Amino acid sequence: MKTNKMICPDCGMEMNHHAEKIDYTASLHEWSATDTLFGGILEEVHSCPACGNIETRRASEV
Amino acid sequence: MSTNRPLFIPVILGTTRQGRASENVARFVFGELGRHSGVETELIDIRDIPLTTTDAGEAIKDAKFSAAVTRADGLVIVVPEYNHGYPGMLKHVLDTNLKEYVHKAVGLCGVSAGGFGGTRVIENLLPVMRELGLVTIFWDGNFSAARKLFDAEGKLLDQTYVNRIDKFLKELIWMSKVLRYGRENVELS
Repeated sequence: MKTNKMICPDCGMEMNHHAEKIDYTASLHEWSATDTLFGGILEEVHSCPACGNIETRRASEV
Repeated sequence: MSTNRPLFIPVILGTTRQGRASENVARFVFGELGRHSGVETELIDIRDIPLTTTDAGEAIKDAKFSAAVTRADGLVIVVPEYNHGYPGMLKHVLDTNLKEYVHKAVGLCGVSAGGFGGTRVIENLLPVMRELGLVTIFWDGNFSAARKLFDAEGKLLDQTYVNRIDKFLKELIWMSKVLRYGRENVELS
């Protein structure tokens, strides 16, 4: 079964998606990527339960 | 399992000014935090973070500071009250990270020359913490008359602060543990 989980680039563990955050700054440079509903670029925040690493990805890319 | 890793809670000294009274406070809090088992800490002096002032935000991220915040489960920010506000250099440093803060605990220690223990700067900093994704605890450190609180060697003269900061740190450690569990195990539904 295909999983949508991010894999930690540091240790290879599945990461936990625990938050979404609007990045307003990025939208200044990438206006075309701005979500008009939120006024910025919506980022998913993922944390690794094994090593504590943090990664983000754009919600629109999932 | 993540719960086996010690918590990492650095103390950020949030001013670059010469003669800063907050340095004694930061060293005191750092020392008290270091007494707690299962907690690792580090004193981060924002004076040591080389940042340009011709740009801001994640574009000028300092790798060492960013790595420390990534590793952190919680933060203590020692912040002096300057004209009722927080130092611009502290905001400049904090703004260089974003994802690194999300769902992490933060405790604020206000420092003032007068009698209000930095309560106004703490109130001013709370909305900034919230927007960064940090979770504030309900205990604060309030250090009034900061220049009279320590001797010339930086030794605390009023021992009542030991008990007060102990309550603050216990709450911060609890929140750091809970939020770490949440970050690593509780999925956004």
